[in-house]
Amino acid sequence: MTDASAIRARFRERGFVIDEAFATAVQIMLAIDKPLLIEGPAGVGKTESAKVLAEVLDTRLIRLQCYEGLDAMTALYEWNYPRQMLHARLSEIENMTIEEREAEIFSERFLLKRPLLDAITQDRSPVLLIDEVDRADEAFEAFLLEVLAEWQVTIPELGTIRARHKPHVIVTSNRTRELSDALRRRCLFLWLPYPSLKQEIEILHARVPGLSERLAQQIAQMMQVLRGLSLQKAPGVAESLDWAMALMSLHRDHLDAKTIEQTLGCVLKVHEDSEIVAAHQAAIESAQIESRDFGLGSVSTPSA
Amino acid sequence: MYPFGSLLSNLVAFGDFLRGEYGFRIGSGELHDAARVLEVVDLADESAVRNALRPILSKTSEDASVFDQAFTEFYFPGPTGVQQAGQEPVWRELGPEAGGGEKHVGVEHPVAPEGAKEEAGSEVAGGTTAPLATMEPRVAPTLLARASYSPLEAEATGEAPELRPVESAWRNAARVLERRLHLGLSRRWRSAARGPRFDLRRTLRASLQTGGEAITARWLRRPRRTPRFVLLIDGSRSMGSYARTALQVAVAIASVTMRLEVFTFSTDLQRVTNDVRRAAAGEIRCLDRMQYAWAGGTSIGRCLREFVRRFSARMMGRDTVVIIVSDGLDVGEPSVLRDAMGELHRRSASVVWLNPLLETPGYEPTAEGMSTACPYITTFSSANDVAGFARLSRLVRVRA
Repeated sequence: MTDASAIRARFRERGFVIDEAFATAVQIMLAIDKPLLIEGPAGVGKTESAKVLAEVLDTRLIRLQCYEGLDAMTALYEWNYPRQMLHARLSEIENMTIEEREAEIFSERFLLKRPLLDAITQDRSPVLLIDEVDRADEAFEAFLLEVLAEWQVTIPELGTIRARHKPHVIVTSNRTRELSDALRRRCLFLWLPYPSLKQEIEILHARVPGLSERLAQQIAQMMQVLRGLSLQKAPGVAESLDWAMALMSLHRDHLDAKTIEQTLGCVLKVHEDSEIVAAHQAAIESAQIESRDFGLGSVSTPSA
Repeated sequence: MYPFGSLLSNLVAFGDFLRGEYGFRIGSGELHDAARVLEVVDLADESAVRNALRPILSKTSEDASVFDQAFTEFYFPGPTGVQQAGQEPVWRELGPEAGGGEKHVGVEHPVAPEGAKEEAGSEVAGGTTAPLATMEPRVAPTLLARASYSPLEAEATGEAPELRPVESAWRNAARVLERRLHLGLSRRWRSAARGPRFDLRRTLRASLQTGGEAITARWLRRPRRTPRFVLLIDGSRSMGSYARTALQVAVAIASVTMRLEVFTFSTDLQRVTNDVRRAAAGEIRCLDRMQYAWAGGTSIGRCLREFVRRFSARMMGRDTVVIIVSDGLDVGEPSVLRDAMGELHRRSASVVWLNPLLETPGYEPTAEGMSTACPYITTFSSANDVAGFARLSRLVRVRA
């Protein structure tokens, strides 16, 4: 599976629609063994892509969810102290030399593997998802760099553990803060924008079987309009899928003003946004009537 | 510099081009990866080469958004060229979203007879021998942005200010300011001599020194949160020399913390963080490339709104102290300013507004812009010299 179009097809089989650029990024990530940093607005499938990649490669997905306050020990390993102590007490009567007892207490049996250590001790390259790295502190980012560069972890009591098989790493970021240049340089970079109208229709069909052509078209068009409205929380693909499922379960086969009003909660998550949308009712209605591509799907990328 | 005979030297030249013209940060490591990747992808497929090089050579979304344009400019220079069967015309690549790319189409280049391309693949492989002149009139995107029309900008005159390292009094004041901001404690646990939580791991490790008996207890404590700063400096003409003082404030803060972003605005918003950081590191920098953000009219509301839209998500949080240096003479709609200020207030720990006019006897913040912004300001003060800046550390309040 070294060819971009093959990767694309494999993703498509699992209901995940990706474009040529994404497929090529995955291809070179696998070819040159570098982490892939995916940035993009919320809900465009950054996390999902790692899950699907693991399925496609038929390997384990190991996930490290980042959060504020995440430290190296939570990400790497921890000795199971209570168990060690208990074991030391219980084995006091046994006839063992000090060295033997020490070796036993500090053996892998008492090591709690956290995601990063787990990822480098697999028999087969897993997919390591480092999710929402922008939520972790900057100090953690520096630590992560070390692991990503060397693929080895030194545990004083056990020695250095080197990765037998380098994991395929996907790092995601929602851009709640600027990532360091050093981290960026270690990674391949992929900007994942909102899908185009055509892609979104394709995604809807792939993920929500039985969705009528007309409804898919209407939902995708609505999304294009909504994303162009500069809302506080612009809806992502996840929202359009939720919406499609909600409409399916309500047995609607097309969108009208009343249905939109009733179900817009699937899409808009902030009260102010609902007000903005209400103010733009006219534009939304025209989107339903004409089959127009508003072309507002892509977010404007700021230039420094 | 172009063309070169081999694929590799072409790639190196492309790297230089991206660095020089578009400010990409790429080194030999990236080029090495790029070369490896070219072995993997189909060189005859132009879009595959683009898609493969983009993730390696661009590192931010800003880079990624101009990469295609740069690729076209470098490998398919000039709009004129002998079109070969199977090759798309170059200008179609630019597309409407390619920004200013099409603006320099006006330059007509002679086509070298040997410049005829066989196909896109051999193009990448260094087959093209386009004349050197075609690479000359490249226009950086910033220059094009400057050429766009704005009624306010027509007035822009005024000389560009210089950024230089600041004296120790400024740095000390900045250090005190940074220390005195109490934002509470971080969520992280750090080891410490004393603290509220017992550190079993380090205690056991320390016990190795005492023959396995845990004599010294180790503790964990939450360190304090360090503030982030966002400095928004009004560079319009009415600010006069005060804006220069504001830049000194920026350099002073930059010399004590990396957690700073600096923007200037008058009619347009301009990010100058890198210039400020380099000034703090000892360089003297002239801000001439951002003259258009300097000494025009002021539309504070519009610029702040632009900041909120483009940057606030990744630069603001509950650790952020926003410092706006402006006289508040806004020519835009008050509602725009109100919304932007509301958003800044909501997303930050504190909004400090430094108004140089405040030191003028009898000044009241009654101008429309100022009175609109007032409800959202946590600290309203002035810092026209180093003493004023030093005073600031005692005035700034943060919300809990």
